[in-house]
Amino acid sequence: MTCRKCRETPVIHLPNSNISLCKKCFLRYFEKKVRKTVRIYKLFNKGDTVGIALSGGKDSMVTLNILKSLAEQQRTTKIIAIAIDEGIKGYRDETLKFAKKFCEENQIPLKITSYKKEFGMTLDQILKKLEIKPCSVCGVFRRYLLNKEAQRNKIDILATGHNLDDETQTILMNQFRNNVAASSRLGPLTGIKDDKKFIRRIKPLYFLTEKEIMTYAFIKELATPFNECPYAENSFRGKVRDALNKLNSEYPSTKNSIIHSFLETLPLLKESYKKQDISYCNTCGEPTSKEKCQTCKYLELIKK
Amino acid sequence: MKIKVFDEKSKQNIEIEANTIKEISEKLNIGLGEVIIVKNGELVTEKAILKDQDELKFLSVVSGG
Ligand code: SF4
Ligand SMILES: [Zn+2]
Ligand SMILES: [Zn+2]
Repeated sequence: MTCRKCRETPVIHLPNSNISLCKKCFLRYFEKKVRKTVRIYKLFNKGDTVGIALSGGKDSMVTLNILKSLAEQQRTTKIIAIAIDEGIKGYRDETLKFAKKFCEENQIPLKITSYKKEFGMTLDQILKKLEIKPCSVCGVFRRYLLNKEAQRNKIDILATGHNLDDETQTILMNQFRNNVAASSRLGPLTGIKDDKKFIRRIKPLYFLTEKEIMTYAFIKELATPFNECPYAENSFRGKVRDALNKLNSEYPSTKNSIIHSFLETLPLLKESYKKQDISYCNTCGEPTSKEKCQTCKYLELIKK
Repeated sequence: MKIKVFDEKSKQNIEIEANTIKEISEKLNIGLGEVIIVKNGELVTEKAILKDQDELKFLSVVSGG
């Protein structure tokens, strides 16, 4: 078995297209795919300040690495990394160390904000006080803080490390839960245009699998040692992931087909759910579909 | 032949009698779509040829939260 393009020893086999690629050809394939996603879906424009939500995990590290080189080519595009420290001992402190070091070495501005600073308590402390599902409160707070920190830094658009596996899992989970409205908020580019309070989100790794991203991270030495959040439950997502991976190993185009058929219906979904217009939380002023946002509801519980 | 396999989660080396990567992945119940494979420090595909005493690592591609 040799590389399909140059006969070198391959480092990865791509099941969907049934080709094997060597290190050099794989890097080229990967970067080209990201550039194409940015171009076709107009993820950002020249002159934009692009924020990258950085967790220190491989997906966000690869996103940062690639957007950095894209920004250098375009010259006028600026990038800023934003990290949220939830306050999870033995986990986030470790991944953030890696993120900080990388940003320092590559002269990338990095803004770190924390639950402790913003909400008065670390996630560890919150979970000692309240009996709630860790990922629910953690996810709500993270989304809120990312948006806030992006505004503070005058960011035009915020990139996350979401990949093809994440997206196909979420699409199926929404189907299984009969929540198509949630799917209308997926896709490579999300959020509402010209809403000053809501920073739009982009997913430059949208068409790349976890395996491809890990391969890229390994070659570029961006892979962090295996580390898992102690609160990770994810039982339903885990089951959907396992089922999808099994199916995909038997029918290698499964994930790709899900994404592409989804993208075909997405404009229709967006059209039929756009009427649910956004309003602003009457306590903190951040965007929400209710009177009081979920962040403020959780904060009330915490401060009791 | 004997292959040394590093287990990421327990951080231990185990020795497995096998001839191909596929055989090992089946014995250990590892889905090949969910890992990258490192043989003697180099990234390889599941088709790579093994020899006695090779060191293999399966690195999980799933992120932890
Ligand atoms: S796994 Fe859950 S608790 Fe841990 S960082 Fe992710 S969302 Fe937060
Ligand atoms: Zn090649
Ligand atoms: Zn609020």
